Amino acid sequence: MASDRLVERRRVFKQYKEDVKERGKPFYPFAMWHDTVMSLVVVSVIIGLAIVWKFSTPGDHIGTDPGWLGKLYDAPADPGTINFVPRPDWYFYFLFYLLRIFKWPESVVLGTIGLPTVFLVLLIAMPFIDLRAERRIGRRPVAVIAAIMVVLSMGILTYKGATAKEALGTELLAHVPKWAAKEGFSQNKQAVAGAKLFAQAGCLNCHTYNGDGGHNLGAPELTAEGSKNKGIAFQIAHLKCPACVNPGSPMPSFAGLGDARLKTLAAFLEASKGGK
Amino acid sequence: MATRKLTRSEQLQQTILYPLDWLEERSGIVGGVRYFLFRKVPGDINWFQTLGAATLTAFLVQATTGVILAMYYKPDPNSAYSSIQHITNDIWAGWLVRGMHRWGASVFIILMFLHMGRVFMFGAYKYPRELNWIIGVLLLASGLAEGFTGYLLPWDQTAYWATVVGININGTAPFLGPFLAQFLQGGTYINADTLPRFYSIHMLLLPGAIFALIGLHLYLVVHLGVTSPPWSKDAAGTGPSANGAGRKSRRGLLRYGTRRNGR
Repeated sequence: MASDRLVERRRVFKQYKEDVKERGKPFYPFAMWHDTVMSLVVVSVIIGLAIVWKFSTPGDHIGTDPGWLGKLYDAPADPGTINFVPRPDWYFYFLFYLLRIFKWPESVVLGTIGLPTVFLVLLIAMPFIDLRAERRIGRRPVAVIAAIMVVLSMGILTYKGATAKEALGTELLAHVPKWAAKEGFSQNKQAVAGAKLFAQAGCLNCHTYNGDGGHNLGAPELTAEGSKNKGIAFQIAHLKCPACVNPGSPMPSFAGLGDARLKTLAAFLEASKGGK
Repeated sequence: MATRKLTRSEQLQQTILYPLDWLEERSGIVGGVRYFLFRKVPGDINWFQTLGAATLTAFLVQATTGVILAMYYKPDPNSAYSSIQHITNDIWAGWLVRGMHRWGASVFIILMFLHMGRVFMFGAYKYPRELNWIIGVLLLASGLAEGFTGYLLPWDQTAYWATVVGININGTAPFLGPFLAQFLQGGTYINADTLPRFYSIHMLLLPGAIFALIGLHLYLVVHLGVTSPPWSKDAAGTGPSANGAGRKSRRGLLRYGTRRNGR
């Protein structure tokens, strides 16, 4: 059977070469003309986007206010920032959102590496999986359904990633008294200061705490972090270098916040016993 | 020939042809270009099949604008951000070049996906074009890696924090992950070496790989030939046109077949 298929596909390709030789058209000028038109369209679109990007930026068309296509540039990078939003370019949104689906730390590697790797391997292997010679779309139902599902899921993930709400530091700051009351650390000044920092420093972009924040990258729920009694020193060491204490942790270092702030953050975490 | 005086047009022709002949004799390149330009393609190819050329154009825009940006950009954490501001706000047409590079990246990635979708729908990855499909997938991966490494270069908040998380994600991979993260960062953490490293990968390593892969990709396209649309009435590979009508109706590239008696 297999060798029949081999003979047949060789025959078809030989026939293809003969047909093209006999009744094909020269690449120049026919195909080249169309390629040229298409290329000019591409360049025009790119120039158009650059112009809109620049001239829809409010004011003097400089600075960090967003225009229709977003900011020309953001504020300068600051490793010690107390409010950051990790957001990739739009074509990685699908990956960005995929990570929110994997909520448990043990499974996050599936979202970050597992699924994309499987997808890439399948993509490379495709010509060896789909061995039939049939090219007409109507007669390749499995291929068409697979393609539609991939396009749909990529589209949905991209859309969800684009519209995913970031936890806003200013809004979360208002929740600090509620947290303090629930967890019972209202009298602990250090812990309250740490809670404010926790709300502002972007922790809740990945972690959840008393119903606030979003699961990202498998970051654990911190409502009862203090009940593990890991101690202030551990918390500070972990904030400075998450991967040193907890190998494989994707959490960034917060050493840039400085020792004094980290101490309050640690006090807050240790004071969070999960409430009543 | 030797005795007859050459006419004016013959003289002109000789003047033009001489350097070409000279080049051909020493390199064979003229014959190669001639073969490339005048090779036959199926008469029924259509607009969807210009997506590959469109992707190539988008890449060439990236290469050209990238070279210009590299003349002004400073890959150093202390001056990267101000050099981006300088390019965007001070240099003549700097905003245009940077804007084209920034948005050209999105266009390039969209076109890669569309081109891939076209190849998939046409079944053009099947025998004997499997190898070219694989090269295409590698080009897609390199293109996305370009997007990832280029994103950090403005060294603003968005760039910095997205990259911190991106590197950490790479680090979670089993076995290779920690090494990959270490390699990307140039250390255990993002530091002063990270930016030049990303810059070098972005403008030397990956573009070099992409240029080489595109060369192979195009070689295989020319060597194997372009497929007819699968729905075409007289697709190449089906033998001499069964019905003479099919031949007569062949008019230009933009002929969408409606009947499905292809094979």
